[in-house]
Amino acid sequence: MSQDASLMAHLMRRAGFGATRNELEECLSDGYKTTVDKLLNPGESNHMPDDLIRRYHVDQSELRQLDGAGAYWLYRMVTTSNPLEEKLALFWHGLFATGYAKLNQARALLNQIDMFRQYGFGSFRDLLVELSKDPAMILWLDNNENHKEAINENFGRELLELFSMGIGNYSEDDIKECAKAFTGWTLKNAEYMSVRASKDSIWPYGRIAWHYEYRANDHDSGEKKFLGEVGNFNGEDIVDIIATQEPTARFLSTRLFQYFASDEVGDDGNQVIKAMMDSYFESGFKVSAVLRTLFNSDYFKSEKCRYSRVKGPVESVVGTARLAGSYQEPTLDVHFLWAQTMFMGQGLLAPPTVEGWHEGVEWIDSGSLVERINFAAKELSDPTKYGVQDIIRRVTSGYRDFIQPENLVDSCLDFMGPIQVGADTREGLIEFAESQGDLQLKNGKTDAGGSAQVARLIGMIASTREYQLA
Amino acid sequence: MITNTVSIRYLKTIGIVNNGSNGRGFANPYDVAIGPEGNIFVLNRCDPARRNAIRVGVCNINEEYLYEFGYGFGDGDGQMMLPVAMAFDAKGRLLITDEHTNRITIYSDEGEVLGKWGHKGESEGEFNGPAGIATDSSGTVYICDQRNHRVQKYTADGGFLAQWGSQGTGEGEFNLPWGLGLDSENNVYIADWRNDRVQKFDSNGHYLKTIGDSEVKEEHLVRPSAVSIDGNGNIYVADWGNERVQVFNSEGEVIASLKGEATLSDWAKDFFESNPDEMETREISDLNPDVPDHLNNPYHISSQTEPFFWGPVSVNIDSDNRLYVVESNRHRIQVYEIE
Repeated sequence: MSQDASLMAHLMRRAGFGATRNELEECLSDGYKTTVDKLLNPGESNHMPDDLIRRYHVDQSELRQLDGAGAYWLYRMVTTSNPLEEKLALFWHGLFATGYAKLNQARALLNQIDMFRQYGFGSFRDLLVELSKDPAMILWLDNNENHKEAINENFGRELLELFSMGIGNYSEDDIKECAKAFTGWTLKNAEYMSVRASKDSIWPYGRIAWHYEYRANDHDSGEKKFLGEVGNFNGEDIVDIIATQEPTARFLSTRLFQYFASDEVGDDGNQVIKAMMDSYFESGFKVSAVLRTLFNSDYFKSEKCRYSRVKGPVESVVGTARLAGSYQEPTLDVHFLWAQTMFMGQGLLAPPTVEGWHEGVEWIDSGSLVERINFAAKELSDPTKYGVQDIIRRVTSGYRDFIQPENLVDSCLDFMGPIQVGADTREGLIEFAESQGDLQLKNGKTDAGGSAQVARLIGMIASTREYQLA
Repeated sequence: MITNTVSIRYLKTIGIVNNGSNGRGFANPYDVAIGPEGNIFVLNRCDPARRNAIRVGVCNINEEYLYEFGYGFGDGDGQMMLPVAMAFDAKGRLLITDEHTNRITIYSDEGEVLGKWGHKGESEGEFNGPAGIATDSSGTVYICDQRNHRVQKYTADGGFLAQWGSQGTGEGEFNLPWGLGLDSENNVYIADWRNDRVQKFDSNGHYLKTIGDSEVKEEHLVRPSAVSIDGNGNIYVADWGNERVQVFNSEGEVIASLKGEATLSDWAKDFFESNPDEMETREISDLNPDVPDHLNNPYHISSQTEPFFWGPVSVNIDSDNRLYVVESNRHRIQVYEIE
């Protein structure tokens, strides 16, 4: 396994959902720096076309319900040519956690995800403005109830606490003034849509999707004092002030570091975060600049950073499906793919609270671990899957009559990632491979039994501790 | 006769979303067929949460819900998985295609299973995703064989007669064809879905004409899903990707365009009588809003504009010149009168 391949596989696990060997070879021919640039400037995505999805899946055409909407996004993640675009959208979904349970409006949630794709790499200031105008967010945090004559602080509070600066960097008065600035920021037909959402009403003709509306006559245009500045601030002015704050740069950089680099932040991590904050200000708050600094940092490229994050359930499911080559075309029971994310503790579009999910080692408990292992092992031990067949072809390439267990294990680990495993894990895998005997080939090829034998080993590798780490 | 005008008047909306497993209302309807007695048979494709109740519901133009039949989700006799389209044949039997089981099932108008044919394959008499279906007065059955990119022709009981077409963009070639309609001379019109056009053939599969592939926006179809022809030879196309119905004369010129104007069905009115809080807030709402630029495409506009067609998958014309537009995403049928 070359160092370059190992580093590139690390980058693609973090900035995407892992790479198939074809994808990895393409990245290696581009080189690390160019690959980072391409990930950060993705252009138009290639993914499963909407028309095919809508024709086949009535639920994903209507997008009335959670499972269909979740499956719709999973199709995009599994088939996209722009993995970082989706991985970053998933990050924003966790940070600005907006959930189906209160909204009962899956289309609005997916529109929010589209907004993350559109603004997610750009200015954090612009992203926060769009977030404040997002109909799903407005209803999720009650800004439709935030009126000139009677403010509702919910959105204003979370904008400061959970979405930008973090607690301890503003006062209760700042929250009130912030809320006042966002009065009148609501959604079209807010009264009717609010009643429908609260009753989960789909009648008479299904959901009616939402869009933003500004009601000038419900906006408090009076003077406000916010974070030491005074003016007749509207919502955009408030976001302008927030974006320039040092705590905002630290908050954003730290969250990006934890999501893309390492669950734990040590001294060396803090140095990277400082450099990310500098990039934030130098670039005019650009998220892509902050990420570029992270991905090109020595820390990110170091051995210490690798396998230091527990894969989130969605990452795990999508990465496995991509590796297996599953769900590349409309598939009858794709909504079960969404259900897997729920069973593993990260129901897509259904975060438990506005705080999102608790990540890191908290992803793993005995129940969710069993779900993870069962799913990955089942997908990857199926020799009929295109991706598994590709691994088998590569593993057997260069051999003619047979492959010994040890070589088979090392070769599978290589072509599944490369995946680095500990000595104990490798020993266990060799023991398993030995229990199946040498892999017999005929003119360098496996028969059905041989393919199943390799696939069982691939499934076993997907059951290891290391496979759960990114 | 070539007509340059047609008068189409909105009549009513039938339907309400059905969130359960039976009774009044529709669950992602995919097609209608008008029975021998004039009743409206509605094919409920159903989403995954309701698929065990996959069924045909029967109502009439007066919005009386009459009865329903279904045998559950699966590939057993009478069961369906992903039903697409249906048609009554000359004997008054109802034929339903299923793109997942690759089967045509024949039912009586009461729902009794009378027969079936088809299985997966690409040879004569086999299917890969049967979709649109129509029958002529002699009982001959025409079926779009979607993923084999061809049309197949059968006897009334499933005896293979002929086929034409292959994958491509040329004349007589198809890309995932969906709906199918016949005119009074048994010419065959195919909604050539992923080629964004309708192709016309004679009953033996000889290519005659292409409609809707114009550069002119009003004439340009996007992913047409269904086609139906009136007594004057005018062609009604469910322009699915544009969320509209386009009406062409026999020369292929657009003579009318419908975008939907749904009102409350009787069933919807009953709902609001029981839910006055929703009606009160609805009455102060604008259900025809101006949609912001970033959502300004047909799909998003229709998702936000309740009266507009959203997912118009099927168009059918009955013997009284009524046009039925089936909307999968809105669980209803908008009915128009052609004058």
